[in-house]
Amino acid sequence: MRARGHGAARRWAAVGVLIAALLALPAVIGALPTSDAAVPATELRDRALASESLGFSGYAVSAGSLALPVTDQLSSVADLFSARTMMRVWWRGPADNRVDVVTPAGETGTHRGSGTTWTWEYETATATRTTANPLELPAPPDVLPNALGRRFLSEAADSELSRLGARRVAGRDTLGLRLTPAAAAASVSRVDVWIDTGTGLPLQVEVVQKGAARPALDTRYLDLDLAVPAREVTAFTPPPGASVREGREAEVVLEAGRRVRPVELPAELAGLPGRRLDGVPPGIGLYGSGVTLLAVAPVPPGLANGLRNALSQSPDAVVDEVGTRVSAGPVAVMIVEPPGRGPYVLTGTVTLDAIAAAAAQLPDLVGRP
Amino acid sequence: MIVVELRKMFRRPRTWATIAVLNALPILVAVLLLLTDLAPRPGEGPPFLSAVLSNGALYPLAALAIVLPLFLPIAVAVVAGDSIAGEAQAGTLRYLLARPVGRTRLLVAKLVAVLAFVLVTVLIVALVGYVVGTTLFHAQPLGSTAVGGTSVSGTALTPQDIADRTMMAIGYVAVSMLGVAAFALFFSTLTDSPLGATMGALAVLVASSLLFTLDAASPIAPYLPTRYWLAFVDLFRDPIQWRDLTRGLALQGVYVGVLLAAAWANFTTKDVTS
Amino acid sequence: MSAVISTRGLVKQYGRLRAVDGIDLDVQAGDVYGFLGANGSGKTTTVRMLLGLVLPTSGEIDLLGERMPRAGRRVLPRVGALIEGPAHYGHLSGRENLSLLDAAGRGGSWRTRRRRVDEALDQVGLGGVGRRPVKAYSLGMRQRLGLAGALLRRPELLVLDEPTNGLDPQGISEVRELLLELHRTGTTVFLSSHLLAEVEQLCSRVGVLDRGRLVLQDELATLTAPTGSTVVYTPTPDRVRGTLDGRVASIDGERVIVRGSDPAEVNALLVGAGIPVTGLALDRPTLEEVVLAAAGTSPDRVEARP
Repeated sequence: MRARGHGAARRWAAVGVLIAALLALPAVIGALPTSDAAVPATELRDRALASESLGFSGYAVSAGSLALPVTDQLSSVADLFSARTMMRVWWRGPADNRVDVVTPAGETGTHRGSGTTWTWEYETATATRTTANPLELPAPPDVLPNALGRRFLSEAADSELSRLGARRVAGRDTLGLRLTPAAAAASVSRVDVWIDTGTGLPLQVEVVQKGAARPALDTRYLDLDLAVPAREVTAFTPPPGASVREGREAEVVLEAGRRVRPVELPAELAGLPGRRLDGVPPGIGLYGSGVTLLAVAPVPPGLANGLRNALSQSPDAVVDEVGTRVSAGPVAVMIVEPPGRGPYVLTGTVTLDAIAAAAAQLPDLVGRP
Repeated sequence: MIVVELRKMFRRPRTWATIAVLNALPILVAVLLLLTDLAPRPGEGPPFLSAVLSNGALYPLAALAIVLPLFLPIAVAVVAGDSIAGEAQAGTLRYLLARPVGRTRLLVAKLVAVLAFVLVTVLIVALVGYVVGTTLFHAQPLGSTAVGGTSVSGTALTPQDIADRTMMAIGYVAVSMLGVAAFALFFSTLTDSPLGATMGALAVLVASSLLFTLDAASPIAPYLPTRYWLAFVDLFRDPIQWRDLTRGLALQGVYVGVLLAAAWANFTTKDVTS
Repeated sequence: MSAVISTRGLVKQYGRLRAVDGIDLDVQAGDVYGFLGANGSGKTTTVRMLLGLVLPTSGEIDLLGERMPRAGRRVLPRVGALIEGPAHYGHLSGRENLSLLDAAGRGGSWRTRRRRVDEALDQVGLGGVGRRPVKAYSLGMRQRLGLAGALLRRPELLVLDEPTNGLDPQGISEVRELLLELHRTGTTVFLSSHLLAEVEQLCSRVGVLDRGRLVLQDELATLTAPTGSTVVYTPTPDRVRGTLDGRVASIDGERVIVRGSDPAEVNALLVGAGIPVTGLALDRPTLEEVVLAAAGTSPDRVEARP
């Protein structure tokens, strides 16, 4: 009858084996080998850029650790870079797509059509229509790996690119491409883009700040389906009972830019060349390229005050005669208030020193009575 | 044996008292909502509560969402924790086993009875919610072509859509409770105290809910038993987001499988001294 | 005669404690077996092992000719049991309790269930109990209901643990009659008890358990067989010694034990000598004497070790 004791041991052993097998399953799947291919960096970049109109649907997660010091008006932008954002994506093309930011009990959907963008907020039952604008605030679709990766890669010089190995993302084989910004002002040390071997879709983007080991922003797909989604899925009609309104957030900045007396902004700030964007008022200046960008824009005094308060509350804030500045991860923000003029905001993916240097270079704004 | 267990369970006054208590809270919430007309903003409070004022037919969902986080798991843990330990404490376990009833058979019958309890409870909560919702609030009749409500994604849903998806949600919530039931059943084979088994299962749930909110625990988050409980909301997105739902089902399946295996290994080799 | 219960070297160890220490039970068909032992001597553990509730550490159990606990599914339906007091679902009536218990296992057809339940209730004197829930029963009624549960399937073997516990004297007598009646119709009874009188009145065979060991197992008739002496009651014990010099074994007040297995012969001698004899009998040991001689002190006693 000793067998009874062995029986217990045997049964528990069977249970142990079952648990071990279940625990090992994810690790085994994760350890499946990925096939690397000797694709040159520039060719990989070209593949990624060519995949823009490829239709697909998927599920993406973006994890940011940037505590942007901003006012309430811009809290949705801040959330995008500081929290974990889960996104459902239906992509028919750059001008026809839908991205739903999913929360446990609600969601915010962005439906992009040609010329019009609908934003649906379940929490407030509000549908917001925004018309195409040359200057738009970052929205969830902008942090998708495919959008962000392409944006970074499109302006990268060949010398800034290098190859990484292979990795499995969203269950697919991807090849790694590293972008190391050459500009001295850059606050980003590198951007790693993982590109689907088969289609060229960027499936993961990691942005690493200078001096940091962990990515300040990591956005990647968890699921990917290469079937082109139906048109009805990306289209949007405000449901009955919803309040419909027009989006004006970007207008605020544009209006301020139009109202100020155009000043001649220098052709170069902090070593970054200026660039022109159609439709942007001359009061707003944009510098740099690719990963390293710097924007200079006038803001209404009310917004500036709120922003300055928010900035100076940050323990890392630097307040001196040039202005108030702070960096959140790779993003630097600075507020300058030249006497006799409206306040200006400088912001971009540059170092704090570079943004201070840029502020000092602004003519008519700083240092002159 | 299963029939016997079902008879035992549903002839027990306590079973019905538990179900009655479970229904009391949603009814209270509905009455308060009607009297004050102060619905929480969507996305705040229990899911779907805000939508109830415009369509009372959604109240079954709101009722489920109200009882899901705490009341329902407690009820399930109490019933499942009682299953073996309760028989042991009452002394009837020795008579059942000497009758004889195979220990594995008894375990399976208990699980089926708990499952039936979960289903009946969830259905009754939904049904009472429907009756309360349609009598207290304005409701669109089923089958009309009118818009029954708005999906979380901002598309219009017909009443038929809502009915279908509500049925699926009821099924999903029932399955979500299986993990709790399995934990309580396993603990129930470890101890002769039904209260201990219930408390053990609830401790697991509290720990799971706590870990879920903790960023440092994110590597194990996908394996927490409560991780996908709220995924029934995904049924009301358009298109339905199956990802978390299927994972939730699979996860509950794994928990039930593992814990039932452990309960079996323990119970079939255990000395019954109660 | 075939063995109904037969164990060989049965051991149950809890940690360092040997609750049951190598016992060899032997119960034959048709026996009314009295399983005696003080509280804590391992009786209940043994009964539970017989029924497959507790799994033995080592040793073998044959129940109705089949190996337990492996053959439990085949054997246990032929066994009725009352283990450590009755247990029922308090919110259900006695009839429903029996019906559920019968439905729980195999072998009881639902067609005959109602009739069998009624018969079992009648047998234990609960025929007219109605729909009252068991929690409203007295202790004695619960004991009877437990007995009815054991009788439900007309078992070949009844394993009863303290079956008269909680019954009034009339109830005890009724249960005794019932057991004897069942025994007459061919049921083997295994009766575990610490009440010597009960065992003495009912049983044909006795096993005595002391601290996990079976110290005695024999026919009751053999254990209490005449010792070959005669007991004489007399107001003048000293004169007996004078008359039957050398044959007096002991004197205890008016009770004199005289060697010689023929009371008539002893009587004739004493009466011939003019000694008044108030009582005369063959000397038989009582069961209590036998048990006390075989078993040591009560295991409840915890004595300090020197």
